[in-house]
Formats: sequence, structure tokens, C-alpha cells
Amino acid sequence: MIAPVRPKPRYAFWGGITLALVAMTAWSAKGVGVDFIGMVCNIGGGKRLLVESFPPDFGFLPRLFKPFLETLQIALIGSVIGGILAIPVAVLAARPVSPNGLVWFLDRNFMNVMRTLPDLFWAMLFATAVGFGPLAGALALTVFTVAVISKLFSESIEAIDTNLPEAICAAGGNWIEMVRFGALPQVWPQYASYLMYAFELNVRSSMVLGLVGAGGLGMILESQRSNFEYERVSLIILVVLVAVLAIEQLSGAIRRRLA
Amino acid sequence: MSQSNTSVPAIRYRGAGVTYAGGVKALKGIDLDIPAGQFVVIVGSSGAGKSTLMRSVNGLIPLTEGTLEIAGQPMPDKPGRALRRLRADIGMVFQDFRLVKRLSVLDNVLIGRLAHVPTWRTITGLWPKAEVEIALEALERVGIVDKAYVKASQLSGGQQQRVGIARALAQRPKIILADEPVASLDPVTSHQVMQDLLRINRELGITTIVNLHFLDLARRYGQRIIGLRHGEMVYDGSGETVTDDQFREIYGRPPGDDDFLGGVA
Repeated sequence: MIAPVRPKPRYAFWGGITLALVAMTAWSAKGVGVDFIGMVCNIGGGKRLLVESFPPDFGFLPRLFKPFLETLQIALIGSVIGGILAIPVAVLAARPVSPNGLVWFLDRNFMNVMRTLPDLFWAMLFATAVGFGPLAGALALTVFTVAVISKLFSESIEAIDTNLPEAICAAGGNWIEMVRFGALPQVWPQYASYLMYAFELNVRSSMVLGLVGAGGLGMILESQRSNFEYERVSLIILVVLVAVLAIEQLSGAIRRRLA
Repeated sequence: MSQSNTSVPAIRYRGAGVTYAGGVKALKGIDLDIPAGQFVVIVGSSGAGKSTLMRSVNGLIPLTEGTLEIAGQPMPDKPGRALRRLRADIGMVFQDFRLVKRLSVLDNVLIGRLAHVPTWRTITGLWPKAEVEIALEALERVGIVDKAYVKASQLSGGQQQRVGIARALAQRPKIILADEPVASLDPVTSHQVMQDLLRINRELGITTIVNLHFLDLARRYGQRIIGLRHGEMVYDGSGETVTDDQFREIYGRPPGDDDFLGGVA
């Protein structure tokens, strides 16, 4: 029997990577000021905060109802409008269907810029344009959704079977029809799951946006926190946690049915 | 039934060739007239240029040398409206069917009507009634109109290929191109599909070109056989008279078992 040639283990390569990781972590820890002794000594502060947050003040629950709905509304508007706008952005940035190199290049960069700027930036921008409030939040989340979905979706479109678009062209279809019948049907299930993923993210984000005055639960959270009402703060966090988990379950169920 | 206008061939190549980027010559020196209404089978081993020749007819692969005329009209040399209008008259059937699997059979056949309906209607699915009638009629002709509202992915291979043929038929084409239409099918279904294509050719007088690699199928169905080898035409004659020696010439080797589909008619 001929023994197969065993490839030489790449000790130097993996050793080098491990060393680099350790060195970088140590360097970062020094920069951030990670101080284990200090952490242990001050653990009481964190403990006090946790004790004061418990039990959550359930009596406050009714007053969360309206802001909670507002949070959902902000997230929903952002997801739906952003989700629709993301389709053309994604299509133009996907190589097999993009009409030409220039459009592809410009759209790619547009997507990158959109994604690099954080949702808080967009919230501030729209707040100065339309004033602080839920509308600014919804607009910020719309842009955020376009950024998230277009990136994922264009990558899905890049991976389609390009034989089908050829068949649509052979039948005399134009570019839009080639995209509509040759490309998109192959990726609708992925699109649906990206849309629901974006909605989950948006419910979470709308909390953060609330902190800068964009309405919803985040605004209540900020006011209660600045009044040191930790039992109420913990209740709000609990409500968001339950909502996000519920949305995750729901979108998971829908995605399974779509697959 | 040949169409009356025999002076202008449906397809005319003069000195045609295709050189791919990278220098590979897929086709060279093709001089070929295909009269309207003919049923032509192209044979040759893989890489001989069958697919390239076929795809040059509807401009999916443009010629790099020579000329091509479709019904006397020169091939448009760049993509655009003229090329789409030409493609509208040429139906294509593929080895792998190329159906939109998530859509219904009817929606797939309606794709054959894209060139005749405003885009806002096609992309929203608001097809005019007359177009739906044409699609149903095409399905009727291949005998699966009862599957019109079934999802394409739920059909067998043979049924999917019939949908592919119906889609081509819905174009009301002057030419049908069938690229290895039976290569993914079992022998019995293969014969059925070939007979469908032949019947459509006879009934409607549609010029039909079929790429095949099975010699017995080529011999049986080819009113005319064109043999390609290394991108050149090495045989042009009737299917009934082609000999094993001539097949050897086309394939560059004696025919073996793999070159015959076998099975029943």
C-alpha cells in the first residue's frame, strides 16, 4: 500500500498568528486600561445598581404602552420603506445583473458610505432637518435598513444561477424583466429573512435613537435613567427584551414557512 | 411545411466565426443556409461549437467574424431594442429547462410574451387576457394545459421541458433553437420531447435547430444533419443517409455505446 503524503504542518504560520493575536490583545488591554484589581474592588458599584433595579416597577407598565407602540411604528416604517428602497440599490450593486461597470462602482461605494455612517449620525441629521421626534427616528432607520439589506441582498444576487437570466433575455425580455424574472425569484426567500432581520435590528435601534429624542421607549428610558428610577429602567429593558425575543420567534416561524 | 418564401433562407451564415476572449476559436469559416421550415440537427462532440453556433442565431453569443442574416435581415451588432425584437421571434429550449421554479407553469410560459407586453404589466403580473390565452394555447399544444397553475418546481423533468417548449411556442416564433433538449431526460421522455419538437415543426412550419449528441436521435429526427468538429462544419446532409463512417469523421473516433440513447420510440 502506498502511504499518502502527509502535508507538512504549518507550525510557523499558526504560531505566528497566535502570537500576533496575544500581542494585539495585550496592547489593547493596556490602551483601554483594563485593571483587574480595580474591577474587583469596585464591583460593589455594579452590584448596587443591580440591587436598585430589582424588582422592576411593574406599576409603571401602563405608561409604557404608548411609547412601546411608537417604537414599533418607527421600526416598522423604517423597515418597510427601507426594505423597498434596498431592492434597486442591491440590484445595481450585484455584478451579474448590474447594467454596467460604472453604475456598479458608484452604487457599491454609495452602499459602503451608507453603511459606514452609524444610525445615530442619520438620526442627528434628520433631527436637524425635520426636528426631534419619531419622524426623524423613522427616517434614520429607513436609511439604516437600506444600508443593512442592500449589502446582504446584493451578495445573495451575486450568487444566483445566471443561466436563468440568459433564458429571459433569449425570450426577448428587457433588463428590468431579466431582473424581475431571472434574478429576483431566486432570492426572494433570502430577501424576506433579511427584511425581518432588519426589523429586529430596528426595534433595538429605535431604543438608542430614543435617547437622542427620536421618540418611543428610548426617550422614556433616558428620562427615567436621569431621575435614577432604576426599577423603571429595568422594566423598560425587560419590555424591549421580551419584544425582541417575540419578533425573533415570529420571523423565524415565517422564514421557515417561506423556505 | 416549408413557408412559401424560399428565396430568402431563415438563417444565412457567410464566413462566420467566433473567437472568444483568450483566443479560443469556437467557430470558424461557417457558410450555411437554413431554409425556412427546416428541421436541422447539429451533432458534434462537446466543445465542437454546437452551443456557440446556436447562440449566435439569437445573439447571445455575437459573431466575431463573418455575417449572419435572419430572414434576410443582418444581425444587430449591439444589444438593444433591435436585438430584443429579433429575439422575440426566436424561441429557445434549454438542456436544463431554465424555468422560474417558484412561479407557476402559466407564468413561466407568459415569459415567452415579454416582448409583446408593456413592462409595467409584465413585472406586476397584470397580463392582458389575450396574452394568457396565447400561453394556455401553447400549453395545450404540448399537452400539459392541466398543469397551468402548478408551481414549475413540482413537475417532472419531461413536463418541465414541455413547459420550456411551450414558453418558446408562446413567442409565436419563426425559429426554435433547442440546445441539447433531451440531455437531462430518460430515453422514453427524450423521444416524446423530440416528437413534440418535430410535430410543432411540421404543424406550424417553424424553422427548428436542435443540438444533439446522441447519434440515433440525430439520425431518426434530423431532416438535415450538420456535423461540427473543432468549430468547423465537417458534414451537411440528410439524416437518413448519414453513415457510421461519417459519424466517425464528425467525432474523430468510432461511435461507442455512449453515443446512442437506445430505448424505445
